[in-house]
Amino acid sequence: MSLFSYAKPRALGEALRLLKNGTIAIAGGTDLVGLIRSGLARPEGLVDLTGIDGLRGWTREKGKGLRIGALTPLADLETSPQLQKLAPMIAQSLRDAATPQLRNMGTVGGNLLQRNRCWYFRDEAVPCWLKGGTRCFAAEGENRYHAILGAAECVMVAPSDLAPALIAYDAEIEIASSIGRRTVKLGQLFVTPSGRQRKEHSIKKGELITSVRISDAALERRGTFLKAMDRKAWSFALVSVAASARIKDGKARDVRVVLGGVAPVPWWVPAAHKLLEGSALDDNSCLAAADLILASAQPLRDNGYKVTLARELIRRALRSLVA
Amino acid sequence: MAGLRVVKSRDEFEGEIFESLAIIQGSDLPPHAAGVEFEEIGKSRKRVDGVQRVTGRATYTQDVTLPGMLHARVLRSPYPRARVRAIDTKKAEALPGVRAVLHRFNSPKAAFRGEETIFRDEVRFIGDEVAAVAADDAETAVRALALIEVEYELLPHVTDLEEAISDEAPKLEDGGNVFDAGSLKRGEARQAFKDADAVVEGTYRTSTQLHNSLESHGAVAQWDGQILTVWESTQHVFGVREGLRAALLIPLSQIRVICDYMGGGFGSKGGAGKYSIIAALFAKQLGRPVRCVLTRHEENLAAGNRSATLQKIKIAAKDGRITAIDHTSWSNAGQGRWVANPTGPTNTLYDFANLTTKSYRVVTNAGSLSAFRAPGYVEGTFALEQAIDELAERIGVDPFTLRRRHAASQRDPRTTKAYSLKRLLECYTIGAREIGWSDRRAGGTRGSAPHRRRGIGMGTQIWGGGGGPPAYATVHFNSDGTVILRAGTQDIGTGTRTVLAQICSEELGVELDRISVRIGDTEGPYGPISAGSLTLASVGPAVRLAARDAREQFLGAAAGVLEVPRTELRMERGHIVSKGARTPIAEVSKKLENNTVIGKGSRWPNPESLSIKTFGAHFAQVEVDTLTGEIFVEKVVAVHDIGRIVNPMTAASQVQGGVIQALGFALSEERVVDRSLGRVMNADLEWYKVPTVLDVPEIVVRFTDRPDRRANNLGAKGLGEPPIIPTAAAVANAVANAIGVRLRHAPMTPPRVLEALAVVP
Repeated sequence: MSLFSYAKPRALGEALRLLKNGTIAIAGGTDLVGLIRSGLARPEGLVDLTGIDGLRGWTREKGKGLRIGALTPLADLETSPQLQKLAPMIAQSLRDAATPQLRNMGTVGGNLLQRNRCWYFRDEAVPCWLKGGTRCFAAEGENRYHAILGAAECVMVAPSDLAPALIAYDAEIEIASSIGRRTVKLGQLFVTPSGRQRKEHSIKKGELITSVRISDAALERRGTFLKAMDRKAWSFALVSVAASARIKDGKARDVRVVLGGVAPVPWWVPAAHKLLEGSALDDNSCLAAADLILASAQPLRDNGYKVTLARELIRRALRSLVA
Repeated sequence: MAGLRVVKSRDEFEGEIFESLAIIQGSDLPPHAAGVEFEEIGKSRKRVDGVQRVTGRATYTQDVTLPGMLHARVLRSPYPRARVRAIDTKKAEALPGVRAVLHRFNSPKAAFRGEETIFRDEVRFIGDEVAAVAADDAETAVRALALIEVEYELLPHVTDLEEAISDEAPKLEDGGNVFDAGSLKRGEARQAFKDADAVVEGTYRTSTQLHNSLESHGAVAQWDGQILTVWESTQHVFGVREGLRAALLIPLSQIRVICDYMGGGFGSKGGAGKYSIIAALFAKQLGRPVRCVLTRHEENLAAGNRSATLQKIKIAAKDGRITAIDHTSWSNAGQGRWVANPTGPTNTLYDFANLTTKSYRVVTNAGSLSAFRAPGYVEGTFALEQAIDELAERIGVDPFTLRRRHAASQRDPRTTKAYSLKRLLECYTIGAREIGWSDRRAGGTRGSAPHRRRGIGMGTQIWGGGGGPPAYATVHFNSDGTVILRAGTQDIGTGTRTVLAQICSEELGVELDRISVRIGDTEGPYGPISAGSLTLASVGPAVRLAARDAREQFLGAAAGVLEVPRTELRMERGHIVSKGARTPIAEVSKKLENNTVIGKGSRWPNPESLSIKTFGAHFAQVEVDTLTGEIFVEKVVAVHDIGRIVNPMTAASQVQGGVIQALGFALSEERVVDRSLGRVMNADLEWYKVPTVLDVPEIVVRFTDRPDRRANNLGAKGLGEPPIIPTAAAVANAVANAIGVRLRHAPMTPPRVLEALAVVP
């Protein structure tokens, strides 16, 4: 670990001014501290966001939807009974995320921007492509936990459980920088590492996520989040599925199926949503959608099981919306 | 001293029988009479050191901080196999705060496990020690490691067991990579296979399991010019002392090793490590105390493991009985010189008339094995007990019934000696009742959802655990009537202090809270390693003798003080009791002033003509999701036959811990190595998956609880290892019962279940 400076601003504007080349924002630190300790992040300075008021907690206003501050601890979202009613997939996705201690410390913004868990990437001594090297070691190596879909030069998988759940609510994020603010679909935040783009998201230097928003319309959807792990707790997803839909007269509308743990980004296939529009979410249509989502799957040596697993979790998540 | 005699004793350690010498004097105590009412033995007692532990006052090696203490860190090989050509430490030594650097070109010779030095010229796995730095603080030491320049000549490597066996693999030693590690032949297996009604064959694989003790390996060393004092997290303070003597050539009288409290070892902390020697070398060189403690990452590279195995079993039946078995096993020993024997259970558990077994040690460029809680037997039982179930299915006999037919014998099939006590069939009966074996159906039953199947399975345990000499204890009366028990042992976490205090209290007639137990210090009497399930059976009988000796002496002194004939006195609940009078011990000892009673006890040899074993059976009920491959263990019933239970509560904890660790082996724990890089990809607690509390099912613990009167004067045998042995086999058999497909590769992860069900594209 190298030495770095530390600042704890009281206001967002000050934080944005302090964020320049060489500095990194820290909130819960549950990912960043690990990155620093293992030499994967070498900040010259840390800007601690936890002193900033106004970015913590969530609000619901009719007409304006749900707004969640980026500094809200994950545990607050998981344990709020009102939020569980309002947007059940959020609590479901957090229930099996990490551990209670990590959920107490980890924040919404940090969860969305956490770096991937590929064991070659995380091993400081392995010069993998994502870190500027020439090749992906996982593609030809130990890849039971890696991508079956959508990978290019790097076969890492999107680690967040929260992200698929939020994307299945069509969530948007607000991003602030010293120049101004912008709003993007959360689904657009994540990028597939490829070509000259050796990164996992589209946040630029000097930008901060300030909030997540979900519209009133999206909150009318039912939602189910399912996660397969190789033990019963404290595991990243082998496969996770967030499925949501508005159910009217037994028919599904505005269906979303978003997968985690299978691709470098949270994964969804619009054609599958279209296929399910108006369906009764019977077994056959759910499986047809699953097959469509997984049609382009290219399993590696050790992760063919993820195709089987994803297909079944998609079916179960969708079926539960009409159960 | 009068009446000393030297006799031979036969003791079992990690599945092998050893002959040793025992010095004996006087006579051993007879076992407790049947039906005797105990005050302490057999009673659940809270740990005597529980408060110290939970309040954080207990001092573990990692907590030891001494004035002026330096911090040592180790530079480890980044290559699986390479020759160390040159080392340049100039930059590292120039870093402020760095006190010294040791490596193969400047380190004094220090013999370690058959090698002359702790820094090899050819490093043989990623994590092998290359150099060490001592600095004022740990951060500086870590920074200095990065400044050491090493010139390596890379050599071809192999890390995988099956690759190392193949002809294409680079040969790591003159004799190749595969070495004989034992074989056994009994009867005429070849003919019996020919004559059989049914033969089944299977190939089984088990993965490398990492110990992951809560406390990592480490030592703090201090040299005062005369005495080298080493605090070490160890299962054997005397073993560490001997290791330091051999490495540093310091007389034993000038070395003191202390292990007051430790956070587990599971077999991996059997003696001095390279970290101990590094700390001691620096301490001598620099004249300051030195701490060398491994990180979790180092722990999982270089502190030992349970070897991965490849096993082939062929088993035959005729007329409803098993008539022949052939079991061959290969173990990935890394750079280990020793290897556990997975064919041990096959050799000793059942009365197989015809068998051939072979075991091989395979060397690779991976971290070495070290003993891991029932080494070999966990792996071997996983294969053997599955093969028996498979054969039972083939011949249409209930697997429980087939086992009973071969488990009844009261004679050790390997030595043909009679068992001192064997109540395995009673374990079967208790376990079958608790799990509801009569509800088991061939082909399993429906689970709690349409895609879930439920199954029941069982596995059998055999292990040593008889202990043996030498082990010593002293019991010392203070002038206030309190008692100090010193015993040559250390508490690996099982509750040794507590059960020894109970034995002492029982024999002495002094209450538990008046007895203070001092262990984990080579300044006390000698005692054995806390491994091989031998602590209680070795040290317990010595404590009993020491307490009896102290009691007899004290009563003799009390007779003089109270002026009552000795024959009319007895000791009971802290009092000297005579006809119609109860005098508190403290009153007598006060009158004795500092005239001190010291009782002495030593462990007597084991009976020559008997085989002393522990037995048990586990039963598991599981549900399997046939579409996601998840295994849900709902219940484990663990029944053990280990002689007398001294403390039912600590005994139950031991069994629960064993079952949980076994479930890790069965379901989730697996060291993953990238073969081309030779790197362990999960040398951490993120991807190396030990069970969490949510992974723990209902565990029902039962004991036959009959004293083994012929084993030793306490009638107790060991329990450290038995409860980890049969769980994985029971779970595997339950899974096979549930889904009709056999999982022959541990851990049985969701991917492997789906693969076995042939639903993976």
